[in-house]
Amino acid sequence: MATVRLRDPAEYPELAQRLFELSKGWFNHDFKQPAAMSRVMAWDPAFGNPHGRAMKRAMAPGEFTRAEKEMVAAVVSGVNACAY
Amino acid sequence: MTEDALWYEAALLVGITNALNVVADGFGSTSSALAPRSEADAPPEVRALFAEVRDFYACQEIPAPFAIMAHDPPYAADVWAALKHAFGDNRLSRRLKEALAFAVSLTSRSAFGTAFHLAEMRRLGVGARGVMEVLGVTQMFSSYTKIADTLQLIPDMADIAPVDWSPAPGGDAR
Repeated sequence: MATVRLRDPAEYPELAQRLFELSKGWFNHDFKQPAAMSRVMAWDPAFGNPHGRAMKRAMAPGEFTRAEKEMVAAVVSGVNACAY
Repeated sequence: MTEDALWYEAALLVGITNALNVVADGFGSTSSALAPRSEADAPPEVRALFAEVRDFYACQEIPAPFAIMAHDPPYAADVWAALKHAFGDNRLSRRLKEALAFAVSLTSRSAFGTAFHLAEMRRLGVGARGVMEVLGVTQMFSSYTKIADTLQLIPDMADIAPVDWSPAPGGDAR
């Protein structure tokens, strides 16, 4: 169980709710609820916004494809033993 | 990247990368506890192994973990066979595999692996931008994972990818 109560999307300001909608496009998946990490990042926009931009810049296609980078992200998560 | 075969291939690579790194970092060049095996007085099977390593990595100096494992030639030969297979071009390219190994090494703080696989990435044609891409992904997901762990977030993105119902290699479909 998470150590914090993840807020319902309706408890977030309108700007954050728009970002939740945009995240569906990023993941190409119609989430029933915004992903937990999206809700964590929306908690503090002064952190979450630049962190999210840095992530999207790093994940954008370049010398490696987005799919290849998702695999890099997965192995990093594996080495960090992160179940999420 | 929806087929399981790609992820099996990546996972085996992660494992053998870590195996190489633990020996290299544990008995690095400064360690006198277990010195690298000298080629001068090595038996033919070790010289043959070293020749394969040189050919695979296009290098002259034998990377430390291979020279250390060579104290037990049959063991070294089997590890090398597994490693060479894991890193070879297959469904995933060797170029991507070196990027994955670099990310694994950076994440696990392996000084040997980080330098070794960075050099391999460059040798295989990854440019400065590509290196920064892998570094950026590694760094950002080292952030996300720790945030998720600190808050003990429950995984909620596992069902994004479809299930691959293909059989194991050589097996029959269910």
